[in-house]
Amino acid sequence: MAGSALRRLMAEYKQLTLNPPEGIIAGPINEENFFEWEALITGPEGTCFEGGVFPAKLVFPSDYPLSPPKMQFTCEMFHPNIYSDGRVCISILHAPGDDPMGYETSAERWSPVQSVEKILLSVVSMLAEPNDESGANVDAAKMWRENRDEFNRIAEKIVRRTLGIPI
Amino acid sequence: MRMGDNNEGGLGTSKDEPQMNQDEMILAQQRQIEKEISDSIPLVGSLEPLESLNKEYLTDTVYLEKVKDLAKKYKFMRRTRPDGNCFFRAFSYANVEILTGKKEEFEEFYKLAENSKNALVELGFQQFTVEDFYDTYMEVLKRIKTAPTVEESKNELHTLFNEQGFSDYMVVYLRLLTSGQLQKEEDFYSCFIEGHRTVADFCHQEVEPMYKESDHIHIIAACAALNTGVRVVYMDRGTGKSCTEHDLPEGCTPTVHLLYRPGHYDILYP
Repeated sequence: MAGSALRRLMAEYKQLTLNPPEGIIAGPINEENFFEWEALITGPEGTCFEGGVFPAKLVFPSDYPLSPPKMQFTCEMFHPNIYSDGRVCISILHAPGDDPMGYETSAERWSPVQSVEKILLSVVSMLAEPNDESGANVDAAKMWRENRDEFNRIAEKIVRRTLGIPI
Repeated sequence: MRMGDNNEGGLGTSKDEPQMNQDEMILAQQRQIEKEISDSIPLVGSLEPLESLNKEYLTDTVYLEKVKDLAKKYKFMRRTRPDGNCFFRAFSYANVEILTGKKEEFEEFYKLAENSKNALVELGFQQFTVEDFYDTYMEVLKRIKTAPTVEESKNELHTLFNEQGFSDYMVVYLRLLTSGQLQKEEDFYSCFIEGHRTVADFCHQEVEPMYKESDHIHIIAACAALNTGVRVVYMDRGTGKSCTEHDLPEGCTPTVHLLYRPGHYDILYP
């Protein structure tokens, strides 16, 4: 099974290298191990995360793509759908039925024809439009709803930190 | 959900962690229990006399009567693992099993399968997401087709369908073909989808993911995709002493026969 997973991951890596989606770079951390990837995601324009470059790690199971990978930001993040330890909580990273957050039934789910690219594009949308119904970080969800100015200030700090600009 | 605590304004407080980890732990435990149950049953079992069903219903007169009725028409059965993929696995297995020993029909089916990938790509599936499943599907068909005797073909089929790597990829590919069929005939199938979902949404959520159980609509589309008819024999607690039969698509001459008990499909043999 791991052989099939490896073949698929290599195909996806090739695809992402040949046709990289805008604002996203992703690939194995070390070409000896295709089951751990690093991604760099640019904060979407016109949002409070604009300009930031956010590093994240993706870890793939041995039965990928039957099961989804796990994704975790490795920089500081403050966002309703990201746990305080950086783990990303969006519906595409879950198979239907796995419902810790009570996702909407219409939400995009994991299946073997999804891909790393689709995940990363979903994460970009998530940065642009947090879903405050499924709060992985309750404090962030609350602030996003009730005190947007403060939320934007924290986001700006994080953006500056990812770029190494003094706050 | 924990609410109302003071927000200290820090980035990423850890207070919300225990709540979330608990959800994930429950989920993981549920998965573990399901796995233990399902791992004790082979992906596709050996041929068993139909009467082996009696053992499951020793004190259940409703079911025992129905098994008796079923035994008038069917002599054997083959159990499949109850993991949510049982319809796809059973249907795929039974369909190929029937083709072993029928050279011309097997060739015809092989050609249909060979052309199926391009049809999926034309429907908008990304080539690299479909390729591995298609390759495995064709490899399995080829190995069964080229075995020197019918008996060896059947052994190969049974071996490959019990190797998780091959078996699950066969399931995925039939799921994709089913999804392709639903999307190709979107106008027809959209009438059968409840709620406000589009056919494409339905496919992404109910057909393409592994372990999602099958309904009538999956079966009709899978039959159309493989150009095969199936008879589903329903055995449940309902009144009457006989099981109900449904031929899908309606009016077809079914080749594959499946036993349906609420939530699960096994293969039947006349």
